[in-house]
Amino acid sequence: MSPSDPSARSVTPEELLAAADQLLTSPVSGVGAQWPRACALLIRLALEMTLDRFWVGVLPSAAKCGMRQQLLLLPLYTTDRPAAVGLAREAWLGLAGAAHHHAYELAPTATELRTWHREVTKLVSLLAADWPRRS
Amino acid sequence: MAEHERSVAEIVTGKLSDDKVPEQVASLVLDAMRASAPEAGAGEGGPSRGPGRVYLKSVSVEGFRGIGPKATLYLTPGPGLTVVTGRNGSGKSSFAEAAELALTGQNKRWEDKTAVWKEGWRNLHEPDPTAIAVQLTEDGEAGPTTVTRDWTAGAVLESANDSVWAGGTERSLADKGWARPLELYRPFLSYAELGALVSGRPSNMHDAMQAILGLDLLTDMEKSLTDERKSAEAEAKAPKNELPMLLAKLAAHPDERARAAEKAIGGRIWDLAALDALALAEDAAGDGQAGLLRQVTAITLPSAESVSAALERLEAARAAVAALAGTKAADARRLAGLLTAAAEHQRSHAGELCPVCGGRVLDEAWAVAAKDSIADLTAQAAEADAASAEEMAAVRTLGQLVPAKPAVLHADLGPSLNPVVASAAWDLWASAVAAMTSVAAPSAGTVPSSQASEVMAAFESLSEAVTALRSSAERELLDRAAAWQPLGRDLAAWSELAGKGDAASVLANDLKKAIDWLRATSREVRNARLAPFARTSAEVWETLRQESNVELGPITLAGAGPQRKVTLDVTVDGVPGAALSVMSQGELHALGLALFLPRATAADSPFGFVVIDDPVQAMDPAKVDGLARVLSSVAETRQVVVFTHDDRLPAALRQLQLPATVLAVTRHERSVVTVRPMSDPVKRYLDDARAMARTESLPEGVRAVAVAGLCRGAIEAACVDVVRSRDLGRGVAHAVVEQSLERASHSLQDMVALALLGATSRAGDVPAELRSLGGSACANAFWDAKTGVHDPRHGDLKRFIEDTEQLTKALRK
Repeated sequence: MSPSDPSARSVTPEELLAAADQLLTSPVSGVGAQWPRACALLIRLALEMTLDRFWVGVLPSAAKCGMRQQLLLLPLYTTDRPAAVGLAREAWLGLAGAAHHHAYELAPTATELRTWHREVTKLVSLLAADWPRRS
Repeated sequence: MAEHERSVAEIVTGKLSDDKVPEQVASLVLDAMRASAPEAGAGEGGPSRGPGRVYLKSVSVEGFRGIGPKATLYLTPGPGLTVVTGRNGSGKSSFAEAAELALTGQNKRWEDKTAVWKEGWRNLHEPDPTAIAVQLTEDGEAGPTTVTRDWTAGAVLESANDSVWAGGTERSLADKGWARPLELYRPFLSYAELGALVSGRPSNMHDAMQAILGLDLLTDMEKSLTDERKSAEAEAKAPKNELPMLLAKLAAHPDERARAAEKAIGGRIWDLAALDALALAEDAAGDGQAGLLRQVTAITLPSAESVSAALERLEAARAAVAALAGTKAADARRLAGLLTAAAEHQRSHAGELCPVCGGRVLDEAWAVAAKDSIADLTAQAAEADAASAEEMAAVRTLGQLVPAKPAVLHADLGPSLNPVVASAAWDLWASAVAAMTSVAAPSAGTVPSSQASEVMAAFESLSEAVTALRSSAERELLDRAAAWQPLGRDLAAWSELAGKGDAASVLANDLKKAIDWLRATSREVRNARLAPFARTSAEVWETLRQESNVELGPITLAGAGPQRKVTLDVTVDGVPGAALSVMSQGELHALGLALFLPRATAADSPFGFVVIDDPVQAMDPAKVDGLARVLSSVAETRQVVVFTHDDRLPAALRQLQLPATVLAVTRHERSVVTVRPMSDPVKRYLDDARAMARTESLPEGVRAVAVAGLCRGAIEAACVDVVRSRDLGRGVAHAVVEQSLERASHSLQDMVALALLGATSRAGDVPAELRSLGGSACANAFWDAKTGVHDPRHGDLKRFIEDTEQLTKALRK
C-alpha cells in the first residue's frame, strides 16, 4: 500500500468511499465473506489518497513519508483546521490493523467500518480545499 | 445544581410546608429525621472536603499472590494516565489487589470466593515475609503517607498487622477516615466487578448510588418510619388477634356479665365503655341472686348488751309502776281536783259547811289541810304518770331494737343458703318481745323475770342464726367475685389494648402517609442529585459505545425496599425498554465502566486516583479506542492507573497521541517480578522526534520544525511530571499545583523554571541553571526547543534530540 503519485491514479478518494459505502449497505457478489476487509481496504486507500493529495499542495515530500510522519506533520499544516489531525489519527488507528489479514484478528464490524467511513469522508471535506484541481 | 447544595434536611423541611403535609404526618417525618440525623451526618458529603487530594505514589508487594521477592510499582502522583501491561500471570493484578487490600482491608475480587480461592493469597515461592505497602501523597501532609499490611508466618488473610505512617508518626488507619469514602466512591474496579456493576444484584447498585448521593438521611428516615409503622400496625392488630381467646373465655363463663361482655364486643363495633363498666361491675346487672345475698349481708342486729340493757330498763320501769300500784294516779288527780275546787269554794265561803257532805265546817284549818292534801295528791299522780311513761318508753325501745324481719329471709337464696332457721328465730324473737310488751302492767306484783330471759334467749338464737346466714352470704358473694375477677381483669386489659389499638391504627395510617410522602420526595431529590452523575455516565457511554446500537438514556434510582434498583434506560436500535440481556459482554463492561467512573471521580471524593484492573478484556477494538479517550479525559483531573493484559490499550493511546505512561510487568521464574517503564509521554515525544529526524525525504526545514515541536513537548511533559511529583508529595493542594502548571504552560522557560527552581518568577535564571545542571548540551537543547518552532536551526537534529533527552533526564532526577 505504498503511497504513489496521486495524479497517476485514475480514481479519487470520493470514488473509493462510494465503493466502500456500497459494500457496507448491500452485499456485492464476488467479495463474499471478505467484504469487511475489502471495505476497510477501500476506506484506508481513500485516507491515504486524501493525505497524498493534501501534501501535493503544501509539502510534496511528506507524501513519500510513512503514515507516522505524515500524522506528526499534519498538525503543523492544519492549524486552521484542528479537527483534521484527530480524524486522521482515529481512522488510521482502526484501518491500519483492519485491512490486513492477521491470523487471530477478527474482521471489523459494520459499525466500525461506518465510523471510519464517516471520519475519512469528513477529512476529505476538510482537506479538499488544498487539493490540486484536475483540469 | 441549587438542589444539590441544600442539605437533604433543608429540602425535606422546605417541602413539608410546600406540599401542605398534614400536621400529624409532618411531625412524624420530622421525628424520623431527628432520630436519623446523627448517623446521616457521615453520608452528607459536604462540598468543603474538596476534590482529589490523595494520590498513589507506589505499591510495594512482597510474598503476596503472584509476587515473590519484593517488587514495587512506582507511580507519578497527580493527574495522568498510567497503563500497567503484563501477560496473564505476570503479577500485574497482584499490584492492583494489593493496593485495594492495603487501603480497604478487603478485595472485591475475592469477596464472594470460596476458601480455596482465598487461601492462595500467599505467594507460592516466597510465602514469608508477606507484606504490602501503598505510598500516597496527601494534601497538607509534608511527605508521603505509607499504609502497610503485613502478615506473620501462618497468619490468615484477615489477621494482618496494619499501620499508617504519615509525616514520620504512626497513625491508625481508622483516624484517616477513609473507610467511608472508600466505600462510597470505590476507586478500585476489578474485571470481575466490571460485569457485576451492571449484571449484579440491582439493589447493590442502588444502595451504592444512593449512598454516594448523600441521601443516607432519607434512607434512614424511611427505615425508621417503616419500623414505626410495623410496630403500630402490630399494635393495631393486637386486640383483633386476642379477641377469639377472650370470646372463648367469655363463652365458658356462667356469669351474666360475660353475656353482656359478649354483646359489647361480639359485633363489628366494640362498645369499650360498656366493657369497662362490666369489667369493674361488682354484680351482673339483673342478677337477683347477688342482690339478695347483698341484702342478707346488710342485715344488722343490735348488740346483746343493748338488748339486755333494754330488757333491764323495762324491768325497772315495770318495778316502779308496780311500786306505785296503790296510788292510782287518776284517783289522786281527781281527788286533788276536787280538793282544789273545794279550797277555792272555801276562800269565798269560809266558815260555811261543806257543800258536799254538809257536816264539817270548811274553816281555815281545813283549808290548810286541804292545801297539803292537794300537793300530796298532785305529786302522787305525777310519779305514777312518770312511771307508766317510762314503762311505755322501755317497751317501745325494746320493740324497736330489732327491726322487722326482712323479706329476704323468705326468699330463695340458692342451694348454699337456708334462711329458714334465721326466719324462725326472728319469729320467735318477735313473739317473745310481743309477749313481754303486750302484757299490761300487772296489777300487782312484779314482772316475771322469766319473760325477760326468754326474750334474751330468743335474741341470742336470732343473733346466732343471722350471723351464720350472713357469713354464708358473704362467702357466697366472695366466691362469685373470685370467679369473675380474672375475667374482669382480662376484659379490662383487652379494653385497654383495644383503646391503644385504635390509636395505633390512626398512627399507622399517618405513618403510611408519611412514608408515601417521603418516598416521593426521595425519588425527586435523588434523581435531581443523580442527574450530574447520569450525565457523566451518558458521556462516558457515548464515547465508549462507538456506533454500538445500544443507547443509554437517563439513569434513575427506582423502587423501594427489596425492589429498589438502578434503572438504565437502554434502547437498542431505537427500541426502548430493551433488556440488558441483549447487550454483549463488551457492551456490559463498557456500561459498567460508564457507571463506575462518575462515582469514583465524584467531586466529593478525597481520592484523586482510580485503579482499574483489566477493563479491556472483553471489549472489541473500536471500544478500546473509546476507552483510551475516556481514560485520558478522566486522567486530565485524576490519576488513572489501568492494568491490562494486552497491548491494545497502549497501542490505541499511542496512535491517538494521548499522553500516558506505560509500564510493563514481567514475571520470571520463582515469582521474581520486575516493573519497567515501556513508554511515557516524554519517551513518546522523543521517539516521534527521532522518527521525524530520520525521514530524509522531507525538507530539512520541515523536519527541524517538527522535531523542535516534539522536543518541546518532551521537555514540557518532563516538567509537568517533576512539578506534580514534587509538589503533591509535599502536600501542596492539587488545585494549586494544577493552577501553577496551567499558568506556566504558555512559556517553556516558565515551565522549566517551575520544575527546576520551583517558581516562574525565577525564569531568568533558567539558562544558567541548566548549564550548571547538565552543561551546554542541556542549555542548547532548551534553547532550540524554545525557539525552534519559530526559527528552526539547521543543526544536527539527532544531536538535538539526544540533548533534549539528557535535559529531560536531568530535570526528572
